[in-house]
Amino acid sequence: MSSSSEILGMASRRGSIKRGLRDFVLFARRRPSVMFGLVIVGVTLFLALFGPAVAPFDPEHALPGAGLQPPSFQHWMGTDVSGMDIFSRTISAPRIDLVIALVSSLIAFAVGVALGVISGYFASNRGVARFISEGIMRCADILQAFPVFIFALALVGFRGPGTGNVIAALAFLNIPYFLRVTRGAVFQVREQPFIEAARCAGNSELRIAFVHVMPNSAGPALANISPGIGFAILLTSALSFVGAGVPKPTPEWGSMISIGAPNMITGQWWTALFPGIFLGLTVLGYALCGDGLRDYIDPMNRR
Amino acid sequence: MRFLRYSLRRLVFLVPQLVAVSLIVFFLVRLLPGDPAYLIAGQFATKERVEEVRRDLGLDQPLPVQYVTYVGRVLRGDLGRSWRTSQSVVEDIRSRLPATLELILSAGLISVLLGIPIGVYTAVKRRGVGDKVLFVYGMLSGSIPDFWLGLILIFVFFSLLGWLPGPIGRLDPIAETPATVTGMYTIDALIDGNWDSFVSALQHLVLPVATLVLVYMTLIIKNTRSTVEEMLRSDFVEHARALGLPRSKQLRYALHNALPPVVTVIGIVFWFLLGGAVLVETVFAWGGLGQYGVEAVIYSDYAPLQAFVLLAALFTLVVFLLVDLAYFTIDPRIKT
Repeated sequence: MSSSSEILGMASRRGSIKRGLRDFVLFARRRPSVMFGLVIVGVTLFLALFGPAVAPFDPEHALPGAGLQPPSFQHWMGTDVSGMDIFSRTISAPRIDLVIALVSSLIAFAVGVALGVISGYFASNRGVARFISEGIMRCADILQAFPVFIFALALVGFRGPGTGNVIAALAFLNIPYFLRVTRGAVFQVREQPFIEAARCAGNSELRIAFVHVMPNSAGPALANISPGIGFAILLTSALSFVGAGVPKPTPEWGSMISIGAPNMITGQWWTALFPGIFLGLTVLGYALCGDGLRDYIDPMNRR
Repeated sequence: MRFLRYSLRRLVFLVPQLVAVSLIVFFLVRLLPGDPAYLIAGQFATKERVEEVRRDLGLDQPLPVQYVTYVGRVLRGDLGRSWRTSQSVVEDIRSRLPATLELILSAGLISVLLGIPIGVYTAVKRRGVGDKVLFVYGMLSGSIPDFWLGLILIFVFFSLLGWLPGPIGRLDPIAETPATVTGMYTIDALIDGNWDSFVSALQHLVLPVATLVLVYMTLIIKNTRSTVEEMLRSDFVEHARALGLPRSKQLRYALHNALPPVVTVIGIVFWFLLGGAVLVETVFAWGGLGQYGVEAVIYSDYAPLQAFVLLAALFTLVVFLLVDLAYFTIDPRIKT
């Protein structure tokens, strides 16, 4: 409990954000897998900011007469069927993939935590509050009854492809995960003495829920953001792969794999291999980082 | 008798779930940008024509009436027509469902038959080379995109080695399509006694199934392993050990009690397989339901898409119903 409030305290006090981050890096140095994840997260963030700038070729420019060239000194990862440089495209992709994943995860986090607090804090009340709390949980149940990818596909299918619709669909689909972990944490926090104290001090229930309970139960959801981003990247690329995500010439890993798919069959392995490796490593990196964060927050695992 | 009562109760529970699912699928069409009547009538249609389409679709009725009409249609087995091919959606689904089932069932079965023994083995024998291999595999399988893995397998086993057929569907073009009994080519070919078709169908099945197994089996391995480990540490196994019972007997107690959670994971794996099948079918041009759904999305073909989502949800409900029933038969502590 103590370290969980530490982490959350850190969100409210500027100076301790630095300390919290330093603590986490120190913690990661004792865990090679977490360090590995942190490095990947760092690299993808760097590429999202500067990828297109450091790329040797314009990622959306088809070089005339340079289609399907194998990896060479000039084109490190070869070129695709229309002559676009795969290396440039691969390192430019985090910009779109990461933006979609980050924005959708943050929306899902914000909405999920708020709904989780409401449904958790008012779960044992009577009357309308209880009704709302139950209603939220049943909605989450129904949402999760659909296989995730199929539901994402359907949402995008009905709204039409495009970055905005992919973000909306992913945010919507990820809300239940954040909701559930927050609700679980709220059940513990609301029994704490300081909540009782807040009640005695005359705070309204709603104020207690959002001012006192919420900051102290958002920890698990916070740790969930990192693997959530990895998962969102995977879904985005899967949607783009089948043609329902980011439209084609935009450098995006899934859509690059889809462009390379026919060439894989005829033997031009470089077209789909490299974007897939980057995609897999990125998802892995965010998952490892998430594992690290979870253990870091949970004092039982923090050694 | 107990089982029957439980099943009935569980079936009654299915009703509100079905209502909820149908509501969602019904409202999905409301997500359409703009007016569906305009979309279907085409952009040059006259105002009267649009009104006519609207009336045909029942869109001039109040929402609750529309919903009841929709449910009534679905219950009568009418899922509408594809506007792209003008085919009945029910017919389309009937011809494609077996392909997807063949894929999912084979992948699920192999995942269970391989995954559970591996999970048990690694739970009993910890700290070996296998343990490290498994750790790396577990990490990778969670992050590798299944559609990419499928392509890599195609490259290695088709383009490079030429051992297996390429992604051209479920059967060689020259192989005879077996007479439809179940619609699953391997089984139908066996019933026919058509050995060549059977081998061809089996060969085409290898890569897509391998892709799905490699990606999703890890769930079963991880879960079996952790459950069995937990059981081996539990009091009743400790007790058996203290009594001096042989190790095989201790393990049998542990396995028996580890079964219920493992059954749940098997259900979850089938649920995941359906989502994975959508992508793998696209890669391998499998021609099943998943590919049908993807085509519906790409061509904005609403009736098939709606039906596809409905079917996916039904599949989910059935899988978890079966899990609950299996749970009930395994674990006598569950009350009716």
